[in-house]
Amino acid sequence: MSRPLPLASSPLLASKVPPWRSKLLVGLLVAGFGVLVARAVWIQVVRNDFFQRQGEVRFARTLELPANRGRIFDRNGLLLATSVPAPSVWAIPEDVDATPEQLARLASLLEIPLPELKKKLADDDKTFVWLKRQVDESAWQKIAEMNLRGIHERKEYRRKYPEGEAAAHVVGFTNVENIGQEGVELFFNKDLGGRNGSQRVIKDRYGRVIEGVGEQVPPVDGRDLQLSIDSKVQFFAWQKVRDAVLQNRARAGSAVVLDAITGEVLALANYPSYVPDKRVNLSGAQLRNIALTDTFEPGSTMKPFVVGLALETGRVKPSTPIQTAPGKITITGSTISDAHPHGVLTVEEVIQKSSNVGTVKMAMQMEPREMWEVFSAAGFGQKPQLEFPGAVGGRLRPHKSWRPIEQATMSYGYGLSASLFQMARSYTVFAHEGEIIDATMLKREQPAKGVRVFTPETARTMRRMLQMAAGPGGTAPKAQTVGYSVGGKSGTARKQEGKGYTDKYRAWFTGMAPIDNPRIIVAVMIDEPSNGQFYGGAVAAPVFSEVVQHTLRMMGVQPDVAVKPQIIAPQVQESF
Amino acid sequence: MTRLNLLLIVAVLASAFWLVQVQYRSRVLYSTIYQAEKESRQLEVNRERLEAELRTQGAAGRVERIARERMQMRTPTPAITQYVTRSGAAMPEAAR
Repeated sequence: MSRPLPLASSPLLASKVPPWRSKLLVGLLVAGFGVLVARAVWIQVVRNDFFQRQGEVRFARTLELPANRGRIFDRNGLLLATSVPAPSVWAIPEDVDATPEQLARLASLLEIPLPELKKKLADDDKTFVWLKRQVDESAWQKIAEMNLRGIHERKEYRRKYPEGEAAAHVVGFTNVENIGQEGVELFFNKDLGGRNGSQRVIKDRYGRVIEGVGEQVPPVDGRDLQLSIDSKVQFFAWQKVRDAVLQNRARAGSAVVLDAITGEVLALANYPSYVPDKRVNLSGAQLRNIALTDTFEPGSTMKPFVVGLALETGRVKPSTPIQTAPGKITITGSTISDAHPHGVLTVEEVIQKSSNVGTVKMAMQMEPREMWEVFSAAGFGQKPQLEFPGAVGGRLRPHKSWRPIEQATMSYGYGLSASLFQMARSYTVFAHEGEIIDATMLKREQPAKGVRVFTPETARTMRRMLQMAAGPGGTAPKAQTVGYSVGGKSGTARKQEGKGYTDKYRAWFTGMAPIDNPRIIVAVMIDEPSNGQFYGGAVAAPVFSEVVQHTLRMMGVQPDVAVKPQIIAPQVQESF
Repeated sequence: MTRLNLLLIVAVLASAFWLVQVQYRSRVLYSTIYQAEKESRQLEVNRERLEAELRTQGAAGRVERIARERMQMRTPTPAITQYVTRSGAAMPEAAR
């Protein structure tokens, strides 16, 4: 049994320390905790932004949500341009430890020379180097399978153009940053472009997205475009222009097909062209959209406008005789002549035989202002209102500055200039019952609203004359085609270089079909044919004929000219 | 009093665990949605690529070349075309 120790009274335990010391200690501890609490409040409540930010940097990321660039379709909904994935391959040079065989295979997959690849990987100081931008998805798959260290991809998109060369000038192309550089891609860049969206997310330590923070900014995809181009007509026109350029050993060629009712551009083909998917070492000549950017003196193509004006103002009738002998006419000291002297021609025959003298005689009865008004109403000297970059307006001087000889030469198409596209469009005056209509690159369902230039009767009369010009005894009988009546005017001009004319030529043909109720207008131009033939009627008219034939068949237009059928009906075996 | 406190502590703990659980589930679900969206985008891109590929294979130029060279076909002309009216009868020669 033990006795409880009287602790309080034990002299050994009696403290000699003054009681304030323990109070001080408690006070210090409390103060210490107070400081910690204050600091915690300071960091977590009052001034928490720094650590918040540091924390976010470690787990929050802003993801870019890429917008798709709009696609381009032809009038029948066939793809002309779309975006496809094309990974860009990059490397961290110091991480790469590939064997020489692997490097050789990598170089061949990337389609770059091996020394170039080695040079790119040689610089160990760099932490980032592009090996190749926008390779094929399949090539990257193979590279990924090699499992090389230090080789990475970045997801990118590239435009693909299924129609290739044939529609290159119409559709154009984009650069590596997906910004339109040429053609429709350039003109509608804003519409096609779209806007990238973004979303802030939290990632876990494996890099998986586990939470979205705040509002998502959704990506806005680019608008899809539907062009008026018919890719089959486009291809066929391009093919025929190419064949004609090669056959005539010409420098270039171009064709425009317009719908005569709606004003839609069905085809706009140029040769030489390029493959828009593989653009290397392109020359300016390949890139140029000749039909829109090259202007030249429209020559005989202008004559129908002068004759139309003479008919319209009642100065002549189609059967009015005009003396063109001796095939020459002198105006203020300068002589204008015909290629062949003709004698007395009717107004119709002036167009049919393309007589300069006959046209000049009609033009000289007119005021310069009248002629100028008809020419500008037909779109000459004005930039066409077309949804396309680079279209030029050619040159038509104001009528006040015309001297008599200039008025005379302008009546048969010299002293002013126009592009092939302008010439095609100007012929809507004849094809669209006397009205000029606006051309468009976008699909348009309803007929275009026109501006009247001539009365419907004059337009019909002129169409008959154009038919004669493309018929037997005309300047371009080769424009005729099986099954369809055609009409049009050929033109040939020496090219101007510097101040004088050279012995290089340019040949073209502008016409329409079927002539009674025109559905299409086709203009063809061949630049510098040098294989013996150089007249528009010999070089350009055959292309016109084939393009008309094919286009009208594609459009389902029934032939308006009787054709001797060559269908061999299957023989039916007689039975007993 | 003590019993009430205990009850409240249990309630607080339960709700805390439940909250953690819900948070976790929501993250798993979000991650799944994100993955699915990514896959859908990938499939969309692939479809686009294949469509472009199909279109390239069916481009007028290629079809024309193969038809002409490999299948010995030729472009029709009105001379070898039989035009029919909507009723199906062949068109009389004069009406052409």
